[in-house]
Amino acid sequence: MNLKIFSPKDFPAYLPKLNSLYDDLFAGGKGFRSKLVQMVSNPLGLPAETQQLLCQTIEFIHNASLLHDDLIDRSQLRRGKPAAWTKYTPEYAVLAGDYLLARVMVNLSGFGNIKLVQFTSETISDLLEGEWLQDSVVGDFFVSLEQLDRIHNLKTASLFKWCLRAPFIAANNNDEELHRTLDEMGTILGQLFQRSDDLLDYNIRNDEGKAILGDLKSGYLNSFGAYVSRGMSRTQIDQMVKSSSLEDYYQCFANGEKDFQGFVQSFDATNEKMIQLYDHHLVNLEKKIQKPELIKSLKPLTEILYWRRKPKSS
Amino acid sequence: MSSFITLKKQDSDFQNYLWGKFSSTERALPMTTLNLESPEETVTFEIVKKSDIKRPSAAITFFALIKFQNLFLILLPLFYVLAKNFVDNRFRDPFTCVIASAAMLFLFAAFNIRNDVNDHISGYDRVNIPPRGQYAKPIKEGWITASQASNISWILTLIAMVLSFPVMLRQPEEARVIAISAVLIIAGRLLSKNSYKNQHWGEVIFFILAGPGVVSGYQVALGAGVDTEGLAFGILWAWGIQFLVHLNNFSHILTSSQAGIKNTMTNAGFDKAKKILIFWWAAFIGLWIAYHYFYASIFWSYLTTIVLVFWSVPTFMKITEIQSPVGSELGDLKKVGYRNFLLMCGLIVIEFYWYLGNKNDWFI
Repeated sequence: MNLKIFSPKDFPAYLPKLNSLYDDLFAGGKGFRSKLVQMVSNPLGLPAETQQLLCQTIEFIHNASLLHDDLIDRSQLRRGKPAAWTKYTPEYAVLAGDYLLARVMVNLSGFGNIKLVQFTSETISDLLEGEWLQDSVVGDFFVSLEQLDRIHNLKTASLFKWCLRAPFIAANNNDEELHRTLDEMGTILGQLFQRSDDLLDYNIRNDEGKAILGDLKSGYLNSFGAYVSRGMSRTQIDQMVKSSSLEDYYQCFANGEKDFQGFVQSFDATNEKMIQLYDHHLVNLEKKIQKPELIKSLKPLTEILYWRRKPKSS
Repeated sequence: MSSFITLKKQDSDFQNYLWGKFSSTERALPMTTLNLESPEETVTFEIVKKSDIKRPSAAITFFALIKFQNLFLILLPLFYVLAKNFVDNRFRDPFTCVIASAAMLFLFAAFNIRNDVNDHISGYDRVNIPPRGQYAKPIKEGWITASQASNISWILTLIAMVLSFPVMLRQPEEARVIAISAVLIIAGRLLSKNSYKNQHWGEVIFFILAGPGVVSGYQVALGAGVDTEGLAFGILWAWGIQFLVHLNNFSHILTSSQAGIKNTMTNAGFDKAKKILIFWWAAFIGLWIAYHYFYASIFWSYLTTIVLVFWSVPTFMKITEIQSPVGSELGDLKKVGYRNFLLMCGLIVIEFYWYLGNKNDWFI
């Protein structure tokens, strides 16, 4: 599926650097969100063109957020390559992000579903609020997990909610109860994805080789960091902040790595409860819509997103 | 394996689950709430066996329910009234004052429990979740159901009412104070959906009751009658308590705003709310100076004001420095502000202890 061009006016060739910036940015992505959109759209019988529009929308929003995020965080790398703002200048990175969001609005409004336009605008707004709030807690090493959840709900979960709800809106199914259930499910998926991603920072299930303690070194206490530091003294937290490697980090605990692994287990148990809550909403969803294939494809998402393993084939 | 149930406000069982009346062996703990304060409100409850909930002793649950740590909010005005009237030789009816104070304690406990019940039913405590370990909410934790807590609150209110009868018989003027308070309480219930701390008029009513109301009640019970000095102290006291309420609401500004809860802080927004907090405490210091100018000795006016201003600097700095409506600084600010308030209470105690000592020649 060509996500770059939905309308002939997308990405005009006369604009310098825009196309290569786009190609660099999208090349390394897994496109998970657009796959999720397709997963929901297919059982609903949405036409291929509508699916393409929805997939482009979510990938454009996501990548616009990455362009801006990298600049805000001064991240040098994105998907193993130089971040756009370092390669193409910060000005072009900002403009490219804005351009992606503008194209989303142009193409979506052309589709003619005002509810979808409104919902997408709200999602972008939530995303920006989350980004704004996250920036306000950089350097705060005493932030709580509950407080971070609020940020992640806006910044990360908003896109998952969009992936689940937008295909239904595009299919003109605006049943409020249905959307509430999807909203809850999207929130949980977003939180689980974020928490799993945060665990990578501590080399837990880190098959993709994400940089160790990257968040901590950038002054950001992520969800697992907040979970671990709940009962820590100020001295322990000071020591934690200064950690340059996992070995240093383990020294923050009385029994070193053993205590750390205990925290990982209890964090997993906490999130397991969230997975149970997701399954509860899935049962509710099944009662509301007669789409067994959709339920079947949504069921293993928690396994993929949190545990980062392929679901067992049934 | 946990079990869950999702209910809408329109569902017939919704209230039963919220009040904890759906089962005698299980508790429904709210997990998530959507569309708070709307007919579409939806709550997902986790159903937990009563026996699986780790509950503290009944005494700890009761003290957490009545917010024992806040008892000084009514005890300090009592100390003020006793000391002031003793010094002024208007200590006319100590027996009635003792009964009125007991009634006040029961009423205070009842109000705090009612506040928790209201927060639970309205959803305030479901969206404004404090970080773990900050303070316990017995209803939310499942130690007690909202229905049981409500019953305890009614019993305590009833005891307070019974105790108020002899007070009214001995001091008929007390009936007027109680009548005015009752009207304000009922008006507050009708006006503010989320308890007195969450709506404009609710805040005003709370202000009147917590300050001038409490002080006047004690004064009348003592047989000293309402006077301007007592009212001035009541206003000063209420202004200080309202600062704590604003601080608490400020610490929840993000979640309250998202849930559509209205109060002075959410209406002002983060940046303006900070200015309001600074203004509020600065105005408190102004009221403190004014009260001391009219009713206290010059020595204590200067000494307490200097200490209060000096001690308020960290509070002003913390408010100015706070950058995020969601980070840990919010909790720190609450602690600093609360400490500042406690110091002010300490100053009042020392100052009035001095007046008592002076009258009785304790220090000679």
